[in-house]
Amino acid sequence: MTVLALEMYRSLPRHVAGRVLGSRLPGSFSGFVAPLRLVTRDEPDVRPGWARLRTRLSGICGSDLGALSGQTSLYFSALVSMPFVPGHEVVAELLDDCADLSAGTRVVVDPVLTCTARDVEPCPACLAGRTNHCERITVGHLRPGLQTGYCADTGGGWGQRFRAHRSQLHPVPDDLPDEQAVLIEPTACAVHTALRAQAAPNARVLVSGAGSVGLLTTLALRSLTTAGEITVVAKYAHQRELALLCGASEVVTPAEVLRRVRRATGAFQVRPEFGAPYLLGGVDVAIDAVGSRASLETALHATRAGGRVVLAGMPAPADLSAAWFRELEVVGAYASAQREEHGDGRGAFEIAGELARTDAVRGLAHSMARYPLYRWREALDHATGAGALGTVKVAFDPGSTR
Amino acid sequence: MRAVLKETVRDVRQVARGWRWGRRPLVPRSAEQFIAASSPTVFPTAWSRRRPARVAREAAQKGGLEPLFRSQVRTQVDGLDVLTGLTGPVIFVANHSSHLDTPLILLSLPDSWRRRTAVAAAADYFFDKWWRAVGSAIVFNAFPIDRRGGAMAATPGEVLDEGWSLVIYPEGTRTHDGWTGRFQTGAAYLAVQHQVPVVPIGLRGTFAAMPRGQNWPGRGRRQLTIRYGAPLYPGPGESARAFAPRVRAAVGALLDEERSTWWEARRRAASGSTPDPAGPPVASWRRVWAQTAPVEVDGRRRAWQD
Amino acid sequence: MSRPGFVLEVDDRTPPLLVHEGEGFRLEQFPLGTRVVYPPESMPAVPDVDATIRNALLHPVDADPLPSQLRPGMRLTIAFDDLSLPLPPMRAPDIRQRIIEAVLTLAADAGVDDVQLIAANALHRRMTDAELRHIVGERVFRSFHPQGLLYNHDAEDHDNLLHVGLTDKGEDVEINRRAAESDLLVYVNINLVAMDGGHKSVPIGLASYKSLRHHHNARTMVASHSFMDHNRSHLHHSAWRMGRLLAEHLNVFQIETTLNNDVFGAPYGFLQRREWEWSLRDQASVLAVRRGLAVAPARLRHRMFHDLRSVYGVTGINAGEVEAVHERTIATVHRQQLVEVDGQSDVLVMGIPFLGPYNVNSTMNPILATCMGLGYYFNSYRGRPVVRQGGAVILYHPLAPQFNQLHHPSYVDFYEEILPESTDPVVIEEKYERQFATDPWYIHLYRTSHAYHGVHPFYMWYWAAHAMDHVRDVIWVGADRRAAQRLGFRAASTLSDALEMASATVGPSPSITYLHNPPHLIADVR
Repeated sequence: MTVLALEMYRSLPRHVAGRVLGSRLPGSFSGFVAPLRLVTRDEPDVRPGWARLRTRLSGICGSDLGALSGQTSLYFSALVSMPFVPGHEVVAELLDDCADLSAGTRVVVDPVLTCTARDVEPCPACLAGRTNHCERITVGHLRPGLQTGYCADTGGGWGQRFRAHRSQLHPVPDDLPDEQAVLIEPTACAVHTALRAQAAPNARVLVSGAGSVGLLTTLALRSLTTAGEITVVAKYAHQRELALLCGASEVVTPAEVLRRVRRATGAFQVRPEFGAPYLLGGVDVAIDAVGSRASLETALHATRAGGRVVLAGMPAPADLSAAWFRELEVVGAYASAQREEHGDGRGAFEIAGELARTDAVRGLAHSMARYPLYRWREALDHATGAGALGTVKVAFDPGSTR
Repeated sequence: MRAVLKETVRDVRQVARGWRWGRRPLVPRSAEQFIAASSPTVFPTAWSRRRPARVAREAAQKGGLEPLFRSQVRTQVDGLDVLTGLTGPVIFVANHSSHLDTPLILLSLPDSWRRRTAVAAAADYFFDKWWRAVGSAIVFNAFPIDRRGGAMAATPGEVLDEGWSLVIYPEGTRTHDGWTGRFQTGAAYLAVQHQVPVVPIGLRGTFAAMPRGQNWPGRGRRQLTIRYGAPLYPGPGESARAFAPRVRAAVGALLDEERSTWWEARRRAASGSTPDPAGPPVASWRRVWAQTAPVEVDGRRRAWQD
Repeated sequence: MSRPGFVLEVDDRTPPLLVHEGEGFRLEQFPLGTRVVYPPESMPAVPDVDATIRNALLHPVDADPLPSQLRPGMRLTIAFDDLSLPLPPMRAPDIRQRIIEAVLTLAADAGVDDVQLIAANALHRRMTDAELRHIVGERVFRSFHPQGLLYNHDAEDHDNLLHVGLTDKGEDVEINRRAAESDLLVYVNINLVAMDGGHKSVPIGLASYKSLRHHHNARTMVASHSFMDHNRSHLHHSAWRMGRLLAEHLNVFQIETTLNNDVFGAPYGFLQRREWEWSLRDQASVLAVRRGLAVAPARLRHRMFHDLRSVYGVTGINAGEVEAVHERTIATVHRQQLVEVDGQSDVLVMGIPFLGPYNVNSTMNPILATCMGLGYYFNSYRGRPVVRQGGAVILYHPLAPQFNQLHHPSYVDFYEEILPESTDPVVIEEKYERQFATDPWYIHLYRTSHAYHGVHPFYMWYWAAHAMDHVRDVIWVGADRRAAQRLGFRAASTLSDALEMASATVGPSPSITYLHNPPHLIADVR
């Protein structure tokens, strides 16, 4: 039996075109530049410990768009195997029995392909439960791939079928709708980010960006930490409402952020020659939840000396002078771990499962846009302009035909 | 670019309408008392009676004014024979109800008379801007008189002394309803002072064709009539004050004749029952109504009625 | 002979009337019956300014002649109004330059060595050297500035402030220490509008925040009817109390000057001519300027207006004791600006020009535009406001939310942070004034850069408090909708739309009055 899937393939011209055009004409890559195609593939076969899954809903993540438009650093090219089916935010249904889970169970997938899934000797990180730190992501019986959705062998959420290892699966309670369940994976990442921020009690936090990453991180910060004021930078009006719902203390526009932080913290603003102004003083923790140069620099420039900057989005190259001069702790926050170091010992997915029931996540899920696979160009276009179109998350519904 | 052009057109149109381009500027009523009295500047017109200007005037009147005038209105001229035997200069005195009056008079005169006739024109109206002044002087041989001060400036007498005939409208302004208004004594005073005859003129139809406020004759080539009357000479020792009513009566009789026949008008004049050219004291609409009736010229008019 | 001001009634003969709106103007056809208040034409200037100055210094009012007050070894301080006066700035030589030169000549003759010149800019921004030089002139600047003897008053330099005492109402009087400890303080003022001068000069121009907060607040401003009439202004009452206290400690020699209404020289003369008297040339200029502005880039447009220098004529100079001098000054100002207006109307229309006191060589942001319209112009009345209680005000200004970061850093924060929370002057004052007044960064910028003090935008808002309290509806024609909304007002694209919007408040056929300024006018409402 063959199934439909969207496949990303290697194409130098498209990659270059995407790199050149992607940032200037964001609409162009959904039209002709994206190295993506709708194909029929053979249904995956199954190894022991693995199971086939039928995708119910799979989100489009910012990192997916980055990869398709060639914006992603070539650093990651060694960690993926082409051609692959993207889609790592998935809620799916088991087609086979898998260890203790019976066929038909609804699950969400922790996409990290760890030593366990690759059936190799566990690395120290995996042993400690820090599964996102796994060092064996290129070896084992699977071709290289840091996650489901970047590996040629597993398939991904943007196809009708894919496969996953038992260690990746987290069952979803029956009463949780798909739209909320599909947000569990990004929420888990947000939980990880929030815990990485290690905000001290009453710390002042700046979240730069109010897409799904920024909003969910705000929610996680408010729920899991004792941070004080949380300032969220939001470009669009609907994001403002959602940010407040997620627990932001104040929401500002990108143009206002530096001045607002300055006013609130009593910092001094200085302006370098030929450059944008920055602060001496500022917030305790800043989180870049966009992954653009502007957003990262905002975070670096609005953080007090000795503060912490968390990279929640895949970072763009930026001026790191402030990190050196202000001795900032710049920390990454990638995916999530099965045992969160700075949390209460639970896995990020477990915590995320609880957060997925909150009003805030319900609010985010409410505006979700769903597309069948064959309308992928529209879907990508929508996802690229999601903020302006009043959407937080765009998802594929491979089972649907319209 | 298109928007800029469009706005430009809108702006120009707004200013053109707001400031009445091509027409008299108006002052808001409540601001009238704050308008500074402008001191009348005497516009020199001596040049306009010299040879180069006379040549230009001939060309303007014969080549421009006359064809244009004839294309817009029809005219009937009566009583020109009164000029035979006169050598000039004379003072032509007419009722005044339209800007058509002056071209009608000038173009009805024989060329030899026309070339030696100047028109007294209101300084504040025809001579307020240099371009208007030059235009008036060249085309109509106009010279400025001050109608506000009451006393006439020195110029008309000088012009008369130079041997020019004058056209003077003793009413001082165009009538509002086509009927004749009060005559000021200026023309009579000049005639007495310089001992020149006054030739009365009755004009009809000009009010209907182009009244005050209109700046082009109405459509359909309206009929205008002009009737010259016998010259009046101021009697020996007759004062301007006594002479002026006679001039007005003569104009009135001509207008009466225009409406009936020469004989009837003569008889009414003899019995002193010539209708007042000021018109009947009736509602203003009836006065305008009467004056805007089309002028009928059937060519069968005679001295004696059948 | 200059003609008096008068009230025009728009009739069918009235051409469209000129209305200022920021860096531009429009021609507006007002509804029939609209009353338009025109300021008096310029009074004749004094023929010999230098002789007038000399006369004022030698024959002062209620004071000894200046030469007799000067002696060797004394401390002489000359304070002068900053660049917020006059508007637009005066074509050189500035009248302050000529007076200061005359005073310094006398001081040099008398052998006075210790002389300092202080710009009385209170919480206004520090002036640049060029701006200072324009006011005092090249000669004075060269003689005093390099030595540090000509400088801007610094209201945050606590070592150089002196707390003189408390008034009987408990108001702090704290002014510049050098000025307060001088043997003679000469103040050179320009009395452009009726609110200037008198005890507003020294007790306010040289004061600190601690002293200013007693009268620069919402409560005082709402109770001042209006602040253009010092007899009925609580602001001025407070300043007068402070001035009388100061008079006990300090010898002030006040020199006040009055200017005529020659605001716009060639080629912008049409801006102050009455429209129906516009010559063809004026009409062509209007069209040319309007079209030019439409296609000019913003920067050029800004230059066109802000490079404009006025050709003011001096109508009078009075010197001597503050209150006696001010009485004479105000009489001259009233002669030049007062127009009798018969009764209030439902709607007041005003066009906000490109310039207010606080955006000389800068940008008029929405807060300044509000202050200009609802503050200065609205309060340009004597007796009663031109608009009735509960009426509507219609203003013309684009309200572009653009701020000069150098001059108005705290305005941006006020606009972005405070106004969305509240637009009520009282609430704003209570919740936020202190934060802004004590923000170290604003203080730093005020003292070292060219920024208005952090608390200044609050004062702008208080300035408009009386108007906001008095009228029900404020509508801006041609304004940025979001900016208008942020300020708590509404925007309309045309006058008809604005009247339509106001009809809910004032009915379908309201009486309308349009204040045709600049040039400056004061409506004397009977």
